[in-house]
Amino acid sequence: MKETKSVKLNSQQHENGHFSPFKFAKLLDPEASWDKDQLGDVLHWIRQVVALFCGLLWGAIPVVGSIWIFIFLAISTGIIYGYYAMILKIDEEEFGGHAALLQEGLFASITLFLLAWILVYSLAHF
Amino acid sequence: MATPQFLSSFKYSDSLKVVAISVCTAIFCEAISWVLIYRTNSYKSLKSSIDKAAKKLETMKTDQNPNKLSTKKSKTKKIDRVETSLKESSRDLSLFKFKSGAVVALVLIVVFGLLNSLFEGKVVAKLPFKPIGIVMKMSHRGLQGEDSTDCSMVFLYFLCSISIRTNLQKFLGFSPPRGAAGAGLFPMPDPKTS
Repeated sequence: MKETKSVKLNSQQHENGHFSPFKFAKLLDPEASWDKDQLGDVLHWIRQVVALFCGLLWGAIPVVGSIWIFIFLAISTGIIYGYYAMILKIDEEEFGGHAALLQEGLFASITLFLLAWILVYSLAHF
Repeated sequence: MATPQFLSSFKYSDSLKVVAISVCTAIFCEAISWVLIYRTNSYKSLKSSIDKAAKKLETMKTDQNPNKLSTKKSKTKKIDRVETSLKESSRDLSLFKFKSGAVVALVLIVVFGLLNSLFEGKVVAKLPFKPIGIVMKMSHRGLQGEDSTDCSMVFLYFLCSISIRTNLQKFLGFSPPRGAAGAGLFPMPDPKTS
């Protein structure tokens, strides 16, 4: 019963606009209740930020070699996993399992990472 | 083309032009989609009905108690019904999107042709890794020489269009609703079925 109530509340928030009233404190609160869309969006944006940061950093250093793509993937996946499993402490079964959560925004983040890496590398070092 | 002074100091300044053109294209395409789809009322009602059905389905599935065997059968029937209506709405949604998809595809083809004529055979960027297989084919398309780290416009444009478009759609709230079946690139495995 409690769960349906919270879902209803969230859906109402969502209909009010894309950016529902959002508190940053919630991002670190293990007690907060999450709805699937909100959690998906948060994970998506965390992945994009990590991708952009790693891409700019890899390009600025610069590091070369395909191995760094896998290092980026490991870091990004580790951060996402650590975030939802250790900081939010949510039950992944409620949100479709590890695969669904770790896959959120993955492809977009890989392309964003490659774009940032290639651009900075080509512009800064030649 | 008149190139600003600071741009000409870079050897690979063409890469910035490709990125700028694809950013503009992405914004233009989203504007077209907004005019043709997202601002219409039928799209809004369809999307909200999909969201509602998906949420209903989810709560029904999570509420399922394995001990109550007697109610299980009627519940499965109900779930089936909601699932069918969800599928129908998703189908309607994809039909709806087809219209603007055609226009957007046309714009993308025209822009691609324009970029092709601008940067034909030019090395627009340098890859920091050695690509293999299909990536290699894409990144070295139309380029002379054996250096596999040379990057052609095609690969850069591909990266730009995917990353910028996906994030722009997400930012504007235009991405397909999660509940719609087959909306994602990969189908999500359902852990409840095992």
